[in-house]
Amino acid sequence: MSLPPGLSSQTPPSHLVRWHSRIYAIAGLFVLLIVIAALATTIGSVKIPFLTTCQIMLSRLPWLHITPFWPSGVETIVLEIRLPRVILAGLVGAALATAGATYQGLFRNPLADPYLIGVAQGASLGAVIGFLLPATWHGMAAGVIPLFAFTGAIISTAIVYGLARVGKTLPVTTLILAGVALGALLGSIVSYLIISSGEKMHSIIFWLMGSFSLSQWADVRYVLPYVVVGTGVILLYARRLNVMQLDEEQAQQLGINVERLKIVLLVAATLITAAAVSFVGTIGFVGIVIPHAVRLLWGADHRFLLPLSVLTGAIFLILADLIARTVQAPTEIPIGVITAICGAPFFLYLLRRRKRVIF
Amino acid sequence: MLKNYIIPGLLFILLSIFLPGTQGCALPPAGQATSPAEIKDQMGRSVRLDKLPQRIISLAPSNTEIIYALGLQDKLVAVTDYCNYPPEAKQKPSIGGFSTPNIEKIVALAPDLILAASIHQKQIVPQLEERGMTVIALAPKSVNEVIAAITLVGEITHKEEASRLAAEMKSKIKVITDRTNNLTETQKPRVLNVIWHDPLMAAGSGTFADELIRMAGGVNIAGNLSGYPSISLETVIAANPQVIITGVDMGTGADAPLQFAQTEPRLRNIDARLNYRIYGIDTDLVGRAGPRITDALEQFARYIHPELFPENKR
Amino acid sequence: MIKIEIQRVCLGYAHKDILHDVSFQVLPGELLGLIGPNGSGKSTIIRALTRIIAPIRGRILLDGKDIAMIPRQELACLLGVVPQLPLLPSAFTAFEVVLMGRNPHLGLFQQESQRELDIAWHAMARTMTQHLAMRRVGELSGGEIQCLLIARVLTQETSAILLDEPTANLDIGRQVEILNLLKNLCRENNLAVLAALHDLNLAAQYCDRLILINDGRVYAQGTPGEVITAQNIKEVYGAEGCVYTHPANGLPAVLINPGNGRTPNLKIKSAHVDV
Repeated sequence: MSLPPGLSSQTPPSHLVRWHSRIYAIAGLFVLLIVIAALATTIGSVKIPFLTTCQIMLSRLPWLHITPFWPSGVETIVLEIRLPRVILAGLVGAALATAGATYQGLFRNPLADPYLIGVAQGASLGAVIGFLLPATWHGMAAGVIPLFAFTGAIISTAIVYGLARVGKTLPVTTLILAGVALGALLGSIVSYLIISSGEKMHSIIFWLMGSFSLSQWADVRYVLPYVVVGTGVILLYARRLNVMQLDEEQAQQLGINVERLKIVLLVAATLITAAAVSFVGTIGFVGIVIPHAVRLLWGADHRFLLPLSVLTGAIFLILADLIARTVQAPTEIPIGVITAICGAPFFLYLLRRRKRVIF
Repeated sequence: MLKNYIIPGLLFILLSIFLPGTQGCALPPAGQATSPAEIKDQMGRSVRLDKLPQRIISLAPSNTEIIYALGLQDKLVAVTDYCNYPPEAKQKPSIGGFSTPNIEKIVALAPDLILAASIHQKQIVPQLEERGMTVIALAPKSVNEVIAAITLVGEITHKEEASRLAAEMKSKIKVITDRTNNLTETQKPRVLNVIWHDPLMAAGSGTFADELIRMAGGVNIAGNLSGYPSISLETVIAANPQVIITGVDMGTGADAPLQFAQTEPRLRNIDARLNYRIYGIDTDLVGRAGPRITDALEQFARYIHPELFPENKR
Repeated sequence: MIKIEIQRVCLGYAHKDILHDVSFQVLPGELLGLIGPNGSGKSTIIRALTRIIAPIRGRILLDGKDIAMIPRQELACLLGVVPQLPLLPSAFTAFEVVLMGRNPHLGLFQQESQRELDIAWHAMARTMTQHLAMRRVGELSGGEIQCLLIARVLTQETSAILLDEPTANLDIGRQVEILNLLKNLCRENNLAVLAALHDLNLAAQYCDRLILINDGRVYAQGTPGEVITAQNIKEVYGAEGCVYTHPANGLPAVLINPGNGRTPNLKIKSAHVDV
C-alpha cells in the first residue's frame, strides 16, 4: 500500500486536535472572569468610588495594611453584599452551564437542560411548600427555604430515576419522558399552590424567577462544596463523555461502563443543579444556551466544552446579575428576565455568524 | 304687634325646611321616603340612591371598620373573609375574599348598598351594577380622604356619628402635626417602612405609610420612589435609617420583616439597629383606609418622635 | 495472541431464540468469515461476542476466560469491533472519532499523550483516511465512515477484531484494499479476526475459514472450498447453479445467474376454505 504523497505518516499535524487554541481560550476566559467579577463588585445601586472598592477588597488580604477611611456601611456593602453575591452568581452560572452541558452530552440531545428531569420543578415545589408552611413565618425564610428546595429537587430526581429504570439499565429516552411528565405534574401543583397562597404570592413568584438580592456568605459556603465537587467529578469523566456521543453499544465496545457513567454523571449534575437552584430560585436559559454557545465557538470536545462552560456560565450570570441590580436601581429585576432578554439575541447572533453543525 | 313677627316667622319656618336640603347631598331626613338623590363616590362615579340603605354589604375591611365606627352594624348584612375588626365583624356572613368576592352571594343577599374599594372598580363594580346593585366605591388615598370617606358614608346613611368621628380624627391629627410641622429638616429622622423582607420592599410616596411618616415628623428614605418598590439592601445600608417600622400580622403573629430588620447581620451598623429603634406595627392599622388610621399615626409619632409624644401609651 | 471460542451458545431477544447450539473457534492469525442469509443471526453473534447481549445458554471464551467475567474496559483492550451502521456524532472530526479508539487503554485520570495521537494517525494512514482528518463526521460518505471505523479499531490495538459487514458501502477498489489490510494485519500481528460478510466472493477470497449460518444453526464450517458449494448455496440461499471456480486461484467464485433464483411460493387459495 503506498501513501499519497505529501502526507506524513509519522506524527499528526498539531492543529489536528486544536488543543492549543482551546487552552488559550480557557486561560483567557479565566482572566476575564476575575476581571468581570472584580468590576461587578465595584458597581451597584449605591455609588461607591472605584478606588475605594478596590482598597476595601485589598484590605482583606492579610499582608496588606490599609487603614480604613471609609464608613463601615460602605465596607458592609462591598464585602458582605456585593462580593458574596458576585461569587454566588459565578458559582450558580458555572453550575447551571456545566449541568446543562452534561445533560446534553448524556442524553445526546441538544434540547436538554439542567431542569429536564424534574430538578427545577421539584425544587420549586419544595420551596413553595416551605413558603406556605406557617412555621417559616416565625423564622427567617432564608434558612429553611433552600433546605426544602434541595430536598424537593433530590426527591423528584430520585422518582424520575426509579420510574425510568429497566432492570439494571437506564434507558435515556425513558428518563427524559419520565422527567418531562413528572415535571409537568409538579409544575401544575406549584401553580395551584401559588394561586392559593394569598399574600405570599409575591414572595413565591419572586423566588421562582430567581434572585440574588439577599445572597450572603452563608449561601456561598453551602453551594461551593457541591459545585466544586460535582463539577470536578464531571470534568474527570469528560473524555468518556466524548465517547458516549457514539451510541451506547459502541461506547460499551470501547470499554465504557455505560450504566455506571450515566449514574455518576446524573448524580453529579443533579447535585450541582439542586444546590444552585435551592438558594437562588430557578434561573432559566443559562443551562441550555451557554453550552451551545461554547460549542459554536470552541467545538464539542467535552474536555474543553466543560471547563469553558464553567467559565462562560460564571461570566454570563455575573453580568446578568449586574444588569439586574443596576438598570432600575434601587429596584431589582428578577434575574431570569435578564438572562432570557440578553442571552437570546446574543445566541441568535452567534448562530447566524457561525452557521455550522454544532451537535 | 304679633303681625310683625308673622312674616319673619314664616320665612324662618320655610328656610329651616328647605335650607338643610341645599347642603352637599340632598338627602331626605331619616325615615322618610324621598325623591332619588345623586351621590358622587370617591372614584368619581355618580350613583343614584333612592332611599336610606337598610341592608349594607362591605367589600373591604376598611369599609367594615367604618360601618362599625358609625354604629351601623345592625344594617351590615355581609362582610369579607378578611374583615376582622372589630372582632364581632367575624361573626357576620362572608361573601368571599377581598379581591375575589362572590357576586352570586352578594346578589342573593339583596343589599341596597354595597361599599366597594378601588380594586373592585374594573370588574366587580360593573358586574354588580349590571344586576341592579347600588355600589359606592370608597377609595381614599390620603388620611384626609379617609376622613372624607367616613363623612360620605355618614351622609349616605344619615348618621351624625360620622361628623363626630371626623372631628375626633382631625383633632388627633392636629395634635400631632402641631408639634411636627415646625421641625427643621435635620430634626426629622430618616425612617424606613419595611413592607416585606424577601424581596425587600418598602413603602414609597403615594402610600399611607409615607404620609404617616411625614405627618409624624420623619423623612421617608424610600420617598423618592412611588408605590411599594423593592429596594436593594445596599440602598438601605447607604441611607442609614434611624427608625425602621415594619408590619406585623397580629392575627397570626407573623413578623418576618421585623425579625429581618432586627437580626440581619448586614444591618448591624445602621442607626436604627444601634439605637434599638426598630418597631413593629399592626399591619391592619397602617394598611387600612379606615377610622384607625389615626391610631396608626399616633404610633408612628411615638416611634419617630418619642420625645415629642410621651403621652402616647399604646 | 488470543483465541475466541463460542461453545454451544444459544442467543435470542426477549422470548425469541435466534441461534441455537452454535459452536466455533477463531484462532490467532486466522481470518474467519461468518456468512449466511439475511436475518440468520450474524450480527447477533457479533453482539454476543462484545457482551451487548448475554447468551441464554453456553459460554463465550476469550483466551480461555469467560467474557462475562472480564471487566468491560479490559475486554475492550482485547477485542475491538467495527459495527455495521453506527451512529456517529456529527460535530466531531474524523480524527477525534478515530482517537476514541484509544479510550480502553486510558484510565480515568489519563489523557491522550503524543503516543496516542501517533497511533491514531498511523491507523488513518493505513486506511487511507488521513485526508479526512479535519473533516466533520457529519459530512462524510458511508464508505469514508466505514474506513474510519476500521481505522478506529486499528487504533484500539486489540488482539481480536470483529467486523460486521465492513465492506458494505465500499467500491470494489476499496473493498480489496481494506480486506488486504485486514488480512495482512491478521497475519503480521497474529490477530483473531471474525468478519460477517454477505459478499460470498470476498468471503471466499480472503477468509481462511468460513462459518455458514442458516436457520439459527451452524450449517457448515470449513475452508471456502468446503463451505461454498453449489449444494450449500442452493439449500441455504435458494440460488441454483451459481458456484464456479475462480480461474486465478481455484477458490469458489459465485456468479449470479438470473434464472436460478428461488421462485416465490405463490399458492392461490381456492374460494372454498378447507377446514
